[in-house]
Amino acid sequence: MHSVNPILALFYRELKISYRNFSDILSILMFFLLGILIFVFSIGPNTEIFNEIGIGVIWTLILLSNNLSLRKFYQNDFNDGSIILLHMSGLSYELIVLIKIMIIWIFLQLPFFIIIPLAAILLNIELPNVNLILISFLIGSPILTSIASISGSMNLLNQRNFAIGSVIIMILSIPIIIFSVGIINASEEIVRAQLQILIGILFFFLAITPWVSAACIKLAIQNK
Amino acid sequence: MKFLINPNRFNQISNIMLTPLIILSVIALTTGLVFAFYLSPNDYQQGSTVRIMYVHVPSAWLALLTFFIMTVYSIIGLAFKTPFSFIVNAAVAPIGATFTLICLITGSLWGKPMWGTWWVWDARLTSVAILFMLYLIIIFLKNSFTNDSLGEKITAIFIIVGSINLPIIKFSVDWWNTLHQPASISKLSSPSIDPSMMRPLIIMTIAFTLIALIIAIIRIKAEISERKLKN
Repeated sequence: MHSVNPILALFYRELKISYRNFSDILSILMFFLLGILIFVFSIGPNTEIFNEIGIGVIWTLILLSNNLSLRKFYQNDFNDGSIILLHMSGLSYELIVLIKIMIIWIFLQLPFFIIIPLAAILLNIELPNVNLILISFLIGSPILTSIASISGSMNLLNQRNFAIGSVIIMILSIPIIIFSVGIINASEEIVRAQLQILIGILFFFLAITPWVSAACIKLAIQNK
Repeated sequence: MKFLINPNRFNQISNIMLTPLIILSVIALTTGLVFAFYLSPNDYQQGSTVRIMYVHVPSAWLALLTFFIMTVYSIIGLAFKTPFSFIVNAAVAPIGATFTLICLITGSLWGKPMWGTWWVWDARLTSVAILFMLYLIIIFLKNSFTNDSLGEKITAIFIIVGSINLPIIKFSVDWWNTLHQPASISKLSSPSIDPSMMRPLIIMTIAFTLIALIIAIIRIKAEISERKLKN
């Protein structure tokens, strides 16, 4: 390939890597489904309970599955130095972060649109609520990916405490879970308001994540 | 104001300030405790348990104030590359965590007789619990890097991101309809608290702030000396 746009080239490269590691993505989906099975086993096959807590269960597992993507962001590129090469080819770290978030969202979060309705059927959730889960997931999942990006870039050189990355993701995700589940459990007139708050959080995180992640990556590269 | 960012100036100023601060805090704490235990009335509903307030409210205030100071210092430290900011962050984080824990424990001791339960999943309580975990993460995150200067910078970034939680804690009682009562003294024009209870509360808040300040000064001085020894 000669004289290609570096942004497109990076996009293509990330697509290729993600496509090659496709079984990884399937494993995350399996994690999600297994988590739901484990909830069913631990609570007992009582459909009425699932009607009440099913949405919370689904969102909790979305959050936990998001934790698994933590190491996929920058760790490999950082360890073999290719992130520096990408930067030298004229891309700012902020742009690399944005492209990474987009690719990881496409590969790790979009498949959930197929698997969430399936899980909702298994948990006996009513159809209008499934729509609301999908809407809240459409807005909430890019936020989760951004948070995973922040946490992943913070822990590039962390060699002592591996769990702290997941803990950071969980604690920053709390507002998202509050408002996403709030959309479904709220009364009709404040659904719109909750959605708007969630969209606000989305724009806020889309605005800060490139800078925060890029700052962390730069710090890690300086101290490597 | 240079002593707020320069370690040497800070050492000079704090050597002068430390003794007066200790004397002041002892006076404030004794008068505050005397007022809290003997000179303030029982609440007409809560009886004597209202006196827990004189520990609970000051520690809650300090828990938030400490995080706010850490946020300001993190921004200064990352923007102007002042190493003193990271010294302050490292020294002050355990103090904030302790006061948050005191706030949670006194709150649940107060909640048991009044609400009939140690803990409810109310917006204010939950967000303070999250604040406590943020403090713990800050302490752990700093220690999880083999390179200290990297660790403290990453921690500063995390503090700035985590400070989003502060307004949520402050306004949680106003935004959501909760069991925890809204603030009684922040409405300075018309406080919804009787002056006889207001007085000990303010004295205790001053006393707690002074104590926290003294501990912070001692910890910051220790941190400065430790870093001087390392280099």
